[in-house]
Amino acid sequence: MTDYGHDLLFGSFITPGNAAPERVVGLAQLSEQAGLDLATFQDHPYQPSFLDTWTLLSYVAARTERITLAPNVANLPLRPPAVLARSVASLDLLSGGRVELGLGSGAFWDAIEAMGGRRLTPGQGVDALREAIAVIRALWDTSERARVDLPGEYWPLAGAKRGPAPAHPVGIWVGAYKPRMLRLTGQHADGWLPSLGYLSSMQDLDDANARIDDAAAAAGRDPRAVRRLLNVGGRLSARRSTDLLTGPPEQWVEQLAVLALEHGTSAFIATGDDPTLLTVLGQEIAPAVRELVAAERGGAGTAPAAVVAGEA
Amino acid sequence: MDLGHPLQLGVELPLGADDPGAAARLAARAEDLGLDLVVVTDPGADGEPGLDAWTALAAVAGRTERVDLAARGLTLDDRPPAVLARAVASLDHLAGGRVTPGLAAGAGADRDEALDALAEGVDVLRGMWDAADPGPLALEGRHHRVVGAQRGPAPAHTLALWLGDGRTPADTGARVLAARVADGWWLPVADDATPERLAAVRREQAALDADLAAAGRDPREVRRGLVLDAGVGTLVLSAADEDALAAFAEVAAAVRDRVAAGRAARGTRVGTVRSAAVRAARAPGIDYDAVPAALVGTAVEPGDAGYAAVRSTYMRGGRPGLVLRPGSTAEVVEALAYARAQDVPLAIRSGGHGISGRSTNEGGVVLDLSRMTAIEVLDVATRRVRIQPGARWGEVAAALHPYGWALTSGDYGGVGVGGLATAGGIGFLVRAHGLTLDHLRAAEVVLADGSVVRASDDENPDLFWGVRGAGANLGVVTSFEFEVDEVGDVGFAQLVFDASDTEQFLVDYGATLEAAPRDTTAFLIMGPPRGGVVAAQVMAMVDSDDPDTIIERLTPFARIAPLLQQQVQVVPYPAVVSVPQRHTSDGEPVTRSGMAEHLTPELAADAARLVRSGATPFFQIRAAGGAVHDVPADATAYAHRSANFSIVAMGSSRRRIDAIWDAMAHHFDGAYLSFETDRRPERLADVYPGATLERLRGLKRRYDPEDVFRHNYSVAEPPAVVV
Repeated sequence: MTDYGHDLLFGSFITPGNAAPERVVGLAQLSEQAGLDLATFQDHPYQPSFLDTWTLLSYVAARTERITLAPNVANLPLRPPAVLARSVASLDLLSGGRVELGLGSGAFWDAIEAMGGRRLTPGQGVDALREAIAVIRALWDTSERARVDLPGEYWPLAGAKRGPAPAHPVGIWVGAYKPRMLRLTGQHADGWLPSLGYLSSMQDLDDANARIDDAAAAAGRDPRAVRRLLNVGGRLSARRSTDLLTGPPEQWVEQLAVLALEHGTSAFIATGDDPTLLTVLGQEIAPAVRELVAAERGGAGTAPAAVVAGEA
Repeated sequence: MDLGHPLQLGVELPLGADDPGAAARLAARAEDLGLDLVVVTDPGADGEPGLDAWTALAAVAGRTERVDLAARGLTLDDRPPAVLARAVASLDHLAGGRVTPGLAAGAGADRDEALDALAEGVDVLRGMWDAADPGPLALEGRHHRVVGAQRGPAPAHTLALWLGDGRTPADTGARVLAARVADGWWLPVADDATPERLAAVRREQAALDADLAAAGRDPREVRRGLVLDAGVGTLVLSAADEDALAAFAEVAAAVRDRVAAGRAARGTRVGTVRSAAVRAARAPGIDYDAVPAALVGTAVEPGDAGYAAVRSTYMRGGRPGLVLRPGSTAEVVEALAYARAQDVPLAIRSGGHGISGRSTNEGGVVLDLSRMTAIEVLDVATRRVRIQPGARWGEVAAALHPYGWALTSGDYGGVGVGGLATAGGIGFLVRAHGLTLDHLRAAEVVLADGSVVRASDDENPDLFWGVRGAGANLGVVTSFEFEVDEVGDVGFAQLVFDASDTEQFLVDYGATLEAAPRDTTAFLIMGPPRGGVVAAQVMAMVDSDDPDTIIERLTPFARIAPLLQQQVQVVPYPAVVSVPQRHTSDGEPVTRSGMAEHLTPELAADAARLVRSGATPFFQIRAAGGAVHDVPADATAYAHRSANFSIVAMGSSRRRIDAIWDAMAHHFDGAYLSFETDRRPERLADVYPGATLERLRGLKRRYDPEDVFRHNYSVAEPPAVVV
């Protein structure tokens, strides 16, 4: 039951289907026009009906002006971290600092292996992700000249040149559900990016937040260094319902404000590829949630979070 | 030796992280200056890390419209080749077929191992692009292991895979590999301007040609690229500033002229030669080498990776020998002239949804208009819009919506403009706004003899009459000018009824629809009974955004029978008519069509028996009246102006559906062209009754005497045989 005090972000979670690429690009542009902060794309490189997410992000960056872009979440087993680090930094430079990195350890191992990725157990996946985050941060860190040597089981670096550095401190947002991955998130990540559909209850959300807080504190980090993001499914309808995010905009506003104020969520990323929902989210719901949350925070005296970028 | 490759002149883009905007700026400038190509080069593991080459190329794609996009020297050390294959195909689709990927061997002490890994990587890329192969890809290499990955998508065009990073001094192993598997080779020649350089180019070319001969390939199969010179078809200026680029563009123009003049004088045939494997898959009767130069780059043949995506259509399987994809009226003229000279069937395709219209074939030529998708507003005041035939109705709806407009179309956003607008156009706005073809004000038509004419009330009025209902018989319409309507948000209802008392339901439904104001259009779909219940799904659109009006219009429908489900929304028109995922079928559609003025008790009784028989999984009754009635029956080649209903039954058995439908013939007055697939000659008089057919035959004799356009119910007498 914490509010970490982050400024609120609203975004879209776009299915990168390749049957009509212009429609996918159009949804990102519409997200920008609707005033959303984020356009994000799921990444399933083994899915033949999807566009390659990284290529799509790069193309969309050139077709948008203001909105921040992120993979949601990048599939680490098929996106080796050294090239991923340089790609993210490059796109951040090309887009004027509009890229964040959602990162996941991979889930569909049969498909990953079929594409040439290495099959890992869940435990190995956590270790591989930890190594990858270290690789990415090291390659981005051009404050040192020395080449990077990082021995590792999964993603070793030997004498790698650093750079380029991104244009702004890019946040690494980890898709995590299980205890070990949540601990890793608290220790090393800048954000936690789960999907509401994979959480069974609000209690799950609170429990996971607590695990992240504990792991952050144990690593000497401020729990507020980890932004809590959430992919949310839902539907606009004329009538209110008892379901989460199924009802008129007013119901969305109230429920999102509760998520922000009582469950610590500060970024809401709408799934479903629905142009109407994205428009209403950006134009009506987001401003109202911001107002409501600001009013409550003012009353409650929550200190705005000082977001700490990079590893604490 | 001149290999006759089309000359490509381009520039290599700077990828320094200190000025990240430089690549896109220079690329845009190169495009403005008329250069053909921009190139990004991967610095490799030992190079100075700048911007990631692939990321930068994708961003450049988003900032350019026309220029080709090449990546040079991508290494597979840290890019899984199966993922890179998808990345390349994705960018090719996003960028409209402008991508040329290039790979090079990775770092690593052992050069042979690195080249083996590259060879495996090339196999993975090509295997992933081979979407025509239904089986998963399994390549268990020593370096790259792909075990059962789903293939596809194929790139948007037949792309060339290049090898070489162009920098290393002559590397025999890499060149031998290129001679075996590549479509292009970046010549490794030092970037200086000494006389020795030209000699080096000649040496490298000769060595490659020898390797190609050893690999049993035609030297013309492999393009050669040089970063700033004999047999080289691709010349690229290395990373340059804008002034140098402008100077190069001037030189480029001069080079182009001299090469073109020289080739013309020698009679050199310009083009890139497809690989032996692709040539082996060619169909008989087609002179592939004679495909006009303007169409070669976008043409698809059976051995090409993109073939699977273009061979079949929405409801019909096919294996054409060549798919030509013209991008302009001039290219349609060239394609048509070429196709007419081939001794194989011809099909014309816009969106590829045709049920009656045969827009694919076996072993023939398909003239595919899917690249001609422009939608332009000509005049806001008169709502005049020009649309090319390959646009799909979902795209049209989306493009018109910002103006507060819509054009009555079909009900399915994936249908192409060309086929529908020349046949009729019965959609959710038909009662309010009439047929699509009633909104046509002018058309540009390519006739069988290759002439391009305009048809309107004032120009070639007889052709204009015929194009509206029988366009497929008369030519290829390359642009349509429509007057569209003001349409705001609309009411859209999806109602599911228990129609187990099917006869009564149909009679009541028909009467309700006929009595409804014209702003209301409804389509009904039924399938076989399930658990004894016949469900009727009704989709109805009310051309109004006022909830009270919408409810008022729908209430009489809701009273017809018990409602099992209902959903009513106020939505923008494009939310109903939107572009779906592409879909293709194998086999042949089996459908019958009938137009009816009323759903009489007798018709309803026969229809109910048909539905209960299970012979039709899809039985549909579309509203087809209202504003359609305002146009006289002889005003266009669409003659069914008194019908209130267009009825279609799809079946799985031709014999079974024909037997039932033939017995129902007395209920119908005519048939709707686009939903009829019965090929017995008497159907022609159903589609084009009486005087309409006589007049069309006159037009046919004049405009298409040899019956070139026979693929959608030829009116010729006698009709040429449809293959």
